Amino acid sequence: MTDIASIEATVESFYKMRQTNSGTAELLVPSGLELHALIDAIDELIPAVREPDVTLSRRFFDSFDWRLFVAGVSLEWRFSESSASPYTAMSLFEDAQPARSTLCWRDLSESDAEPILQPLESEPGLLDEMPAGPVRERLAPLLEMRRLLPMVEVISQQTLVRLLNEDEKTVVRLVVEQNHFREPNAGRHGNLMCRLRLLSVRGYAEAFEQARLVLEKRLGLSVLDEPLAQEPLAQEALLAAGHRPGAYSTKLDQQLEPDQRADLATKQILRGLLETLEANLEGTRQNLDSEFLHDLRVATRRTRSALSQIKGVFPEALVVDFKQRFAWLQQITGPVRDLDVYLLDFPDMERRLPPALRSDLKPLHEQLVRLHAEAQRQLSQALGSAAFDSLLRDWHRFLDAEMPVSKAPTAEAVDLHPRARQAHPSHGPLPSDAELPGQALLPKQAAVPIKQVADQRIRKMLKRVRAEGRAITEDSPPEALHELRKSCKKLRYLMEFFQSLYPRDQIREQIKQTKLLLDNLGRFQDTAVQAQHLREHAESSVNASAGTSANAGANASAKPSVTSASTNASKNGLPPGTLLAMGALIGQLLNDQASARATFSDVFAAFDSAENAKRFKTLFATHDLCASAESARDKCGMPE
Amino acid sequence: MRDARVKLVTTLAVYSIKGGVGKTTTAVNLAYLAAAEGLRTLVWDLDPQGAASFFFRIKPKVKGGGKALLRDQGALDAAIKGTDFERLDLLPADFSYRHLDLRLGQSDKPRRQLERLLKPLRREYDLLLLDCPPGISTLSENVFAVADALLVPLIPSTLSIRTLEQLDAFLREKMPRRAPQLLPFFSMVDETKALHRTIMQDAPRQDLQILQSPIPEIDEIERMGLHRMPITAYAASEMAVGSYRALWREVKLVLSGEW
Repeated sequence: MTDIASIEATVESFYKMRQTNSGTAELLVPSGLELHALIDAIDELIPAVREPDVTLSRRFFDSFDWRLFVAGVSLEWRFSESSASPYTAMSLFEDAQPARSTLCWRDLSESDAEPILQPLESEPGLLDEMPAGPVRERLAPLLEMRRLLPMVEVISQQTLVRLLNEDEKTVVRLVVEQNHFREPNAGRHGNLMCRLRLLSVRGYAEAFEQARLVLEKRLGLSVLDEPLAQEPLAQEALLAAGHRPGAYSTKLDQQLEPDQRADLATKQILRGLLETLEANLEGTRQNLDSEFLHDLRVATRRTRSALSQIKGVFPEALVVDFKQRFAWLQQITGPVRDLDVYLLDFPDMERRLPPALRSDLKPLHEQLVRLHAEAQRQLSQALGSAAFDSLLRDWHRFLDAEMPVSKAPTAEAVDLHPRARQAHPSHGPLPSDAELPGQALLPKQAAVPIKQVADQRIRKMLKRVRAEGRAITEDSPPEALHELRKSCKKLRYLMEFFQSLYPRDQIREQIKQTKLLLDNLGRFQDTAVQAQHLREHAESSVNASAGTSANAGANASAKPSVTSASTNASKNGLPPGTLLAMGALIGQLLNDQASARATFSDVFAAFDSAENAKRFKTLFATHDLCASAESARDKCGMPE
Repeated sequence: MRDARVKLVTTLAVYSIKGGVGKTTTAVNLAYLAAAEGLRTLVWDLDPQGAASFFFRIKPKVKGGGKALLRDQGALDAAIKGTDFERLDLLPADFSYRHLDLRLGQSDKPRRQLERLLKPLRREYDLLLLDCPPGISTLSENVFAVADALLVPLIPSTLSIRTLEQLDAFLREKMPRRAPQLLPFFSMVDETKALHRTIMQDAPRQDLQILQSPIPEIDEIERMGLHRMPITAYAASEMAVGSYRALWREVKLVLSGEW
């Protein structure tokens, strides 16, 4: 046989094999039909033997942002309560211990692919906590830092019935599955559809067809169009439990109308951001994984940006107050995020060092973990504080309040102050009442069509980004790049807030162009921050050690503060090897920063190109008479 | 993942020159135990008498017979039948297998035909188990060429020890580099017979490594024919079940040590 002929033969036989194996039909059992009655009815037509029932529990897992669902994967952790546990041996040389619980990965895009199994004794969570294995290996690139959360549990009572031929040989298998769901958090539970699956036995295709006909024609069961249960079962259970798989997204996708009032449109944007913020609160409090806090902070930053960048749509005193309070939120969430970033980057930092030095970083890692635990404790406390509670309450009240139609004094601006003042006593005094009457009038831009405001604001910010970028030379200080990055971020957020007002592909292109510039600036800035952090860590460690030796001679009547400083010192003291390794790292980081700096002018030139300018201009050009009014308005815009 | 492990697919043959030594009962019981542990297992009933097929209640019939199997991979795939047990399939016997030797002799590489036929099945199964007819023939040589190990049942007698030595010598001579591993074990052992006891006591002193798990001659195993299924599938505590389990454990142990 030639090679090609043998390949053809293999392909052909594979095809035939699939044909002989492909018999699976799934049927719906009408509710109310008694299982015993059904099996008796089948037995009258085809000899049948019922095996002992098996109870199987499966918990379906996904990340908070549905990464597995989006990737077309279902992940279940199953544990059998009966003795008939599934074995998972795959070769003669593996220990074939029955696994009590197994993690099961299914690729839903290939319906006939075999599931991938990995024994797992306890519930899955973070990748780092999971033992190596085939399922973990597949999860890693999808899941990254996210935690697997139990979304829904399905408890199945499976009844296996074997249909026999005249030799009392099994020729078709029939599995009746009575399913019950339970939502692990809210405790919601209930019954799902009863499913009946008909499984062919290899080499008995005719018997399978006969059985299918009997069930359909004689017993009146209907075959589901798309058999193969797992995906519909998972989905059925998720929906029954009240989940909306795949629904979570941090993308700004508010649908705005060009002639919508600017204040209403802005509230719509802000409401979307508040939704994201609140969705991530519980996960942040419990520190389920680092993304909850990250998403919460992004939503906060965008909120602040919207408040300060979409100018003149709300009463100014109110904007000032909320900006301050969201700044506070950003500030209290900062330390944990910094440490998260540090810890997430840690493996990467280790790789930057020559292998001989890597283990020297271990004390630093331990210290970071300790600091993280402490910072997280403080964060959880702050998120449980009255200040935070009242911020959310006031913010909801403001966003849900009706906006004034005419230029009458705005009710909520007056209303809110006493509460705000009470709730957040640490704030500076709010604008005096004398300012209020003027503020209480409908703000200048409030009733302007949102598209007009958007055009103006984006053009303005673009102009600033250009000016700042063009002013940067080889000798400019790092602060100049930092300022440019801030402006650039504002530009990006503005375009994202308002993207529904512009042709989709065009606005996405401009956002992408802006992101390229931001990436360069980000690399420059982030490496600088990392290097700075390492340096500060090293310094405080050295100072602390110095403190310890100084205190060694101090007498016992030392003040409590000194005592606490010395405890800190023993905690913070890093061995010299670690400090040296950190020094090597700082060197690496600064090299990286230098290379980002070196490419800046090219990256900015691309952003500032005539082509890109033209695209910006077409998108955000002035179409109306307010061009002259614009400059006047901008003058009275608030400082950022 | 399974694909990455193709080379770990094991091919075992239960083989003896003599008939009536407990080959088939061993083959079907070990196959059942393997499948119950999770291995996708295929038994090929190569004996035209079709005893293994009988035990699984499958008609000893292959469309087109052995001739079709040798000629067309599709015929082989179509002939495979699922048994009553999950993960356990059977390639049934066919009366035409009695001419298999002749057909093999006519082909290109007469000793490598079985190897060629089994190759595509290695994607689908973790364990291939050949239940061989008695005798020594071209078919046997095909089995030697493809099997990783030969399970050889021995009724404890001087003659069967001598036959085993002959088989060993034959394999060493004919296939010095890639002979299958010999895994002889005592079968149909009757402890009340002095001869059986003596032979078994003497065995360790000889050069041949005989497995430590004998299979007794008892009624329970005989009665498998009435149940028409492996005794390991329907009985839990009988002595025979323990014996087969012990043998299977030892086979796995020896093979993994050797690997």
